[in-house]
This record gives sequence, structure tokens and C-alpha cells, in this order.
Amino acid sequence: MAREPEFLAGLDDRAATDVLALARPVRLEAGDVLFCLGSEASNLYLVERGLVALTMPLQVGGREENVLIEERIPGQTLGWSTLIPPHRFTLTAAAPVETELLAFARDTLVQYFDRRPDVGYVISRNVAALVGQRLQVFQAMWLRQMQRIVNQAHA
Amino acid sequence: MTLVLTLVGLSVVLTFVSAVLLASVLRDEPPERSNPRIQPDAGRPAFFGYDVPRRRGNTASTVPVEVLLLQLERHVRLEHAAAESFHLSPTAAALHMPTASPLIH
Repeated sequence: MAREPEFLAGLDDRAATDVLALARPVRLEAGDVLFCLGSEASNLYLVERGLVALTMPLQVGGREENVLIEERIPGQTLGWSTLIPPHRFTLTAAAPVETELLAFARDTLVQYFDRRPDVGYVISRNVAALVGQRLQVFQAMWLRQMQRIVNQAHA
Repeated sequence: MTLVLTLVGLSVVLTFVSAVLLASVLRDEPPERSNPRIQPDAGRPAFFGYDVPRRRGNTASTVPVEVLLLQLERHVRLEHAAAESFHLSPTAAALHMPTASPLIH
């Protein structure tokens, strides 16, 4: 993996190794879909190699197209809806290139956090940082678009 | 007395006929003409694609969907980068940093 996994930041080596041991490997071929918008979120994923494209549907030219919203590279996490109710994915994830990930099942993670609340606390804080970052970035994107609408209305 | 009753009766009948004719005329008119205020979107700023007024020379009919998708992808990347820049250093100037997106220019 090219960089330290963001959701393990702040854990000592032993705790990080224990958490990584909970995962199972997932391999995707180019074009494979990892999960679809609206489907049940039961796994948190860590990208080990390759690339994951996160898309949302948009009506383009009278037909529905999946438009790229974000990308995840090695070391990055996706699927935090697994830890946050209502546990439904809000994006579709697919691999544009051959990709390897680690999948952490929600039940396995929660059971581990019950045994090691100190580790659970650090990981929950890391996940909160990811969610907060996504919220602030999308809030800024939304406000930039609002500004254009205001400019257009007063042009 | 009979004359008065006849006139009153005729008035009632004529009023009824007028009301029926008026209702018939109103029903035949297209809904958008009968109540033009039912179009609140006409002068309002648009939020979503289907409301956005088409721009000359850049409509779906002239731009292939594949090209539009590439433009959208580039637009999202640029907007995402601008928003991340704002996230790292939140200022009004960073928030409204101009974009090079072809969808805006």
C-alpha cells in the first residue's frame, strides 16, 4: 500500500495489525462494481491497489448516466455508511482499473470495538474526520453552484 | 302579478343558461391560459438540469453525450479541487475561486 491507511491513523503498529487481520481481501477487475447506490452497506473498504470511482446518477441527454463524484486511491477508505445508520450506500462504487481492497465487515468491526474500545474510539474519530471532510467539501461545492445561480438570476 | 312572475322566471332561466355557457367556455380553455399563475418556475432561478435554460451552441442536441460526460467529469474534478482548497484554507476568496470548467464558460 502506497500510504498509511487513513482510517488507521493514530493507532500503534500492533493495534493496526490486529485491525487489518479482521479484513478479507477483495479483488476487482476493470469495470467491476463494488456496490450500488441504495444497497445495504455492510462492509467498510480500504483501497490497497488500483482505483475506485464513486459515482451518482444524473440525467444526461435524456438518459441516466453515472457521473464521477470522487475517486479513492490506495490508503483511502470508502463505505463509511457501513458504520453509520441507516447503513445504505449513498454512491455507486466501481473499479475503472484492476483493483485490490480490504473489506471489513460491520459485525466483525463492532465486535472488535467492543473488546477494544480504545481502538474503536480512534477509528470512530478517523471515520468522523472522513465524514466531516466529505460534508465540508460538498457544502463548498453546493455553495459555489448557488453563487452561480444567484449570478445568473441577477445577470 | 302573472307578468311579474313570468319575468322573474325568465330571469332565473337566462341566468342559469349564462352560467352554463360561461362554465363551458372556461373548461375549453387550456389550463395554462386559464390560470397563468400556475407557472411559478417561469422566472425563477433553476436548481436542476431540467430547469436550466439551454445555452446557445452548447445544447444536448449539438454536444454528444460522451463529450458532455467528459466535460461533466472535468467539471466535477475542478469543483472538487476548489472545494478541497476551501476546506484546507476556508476564506470567501477560496470558496468563490474561478473555475476553468467548460460547463461554466
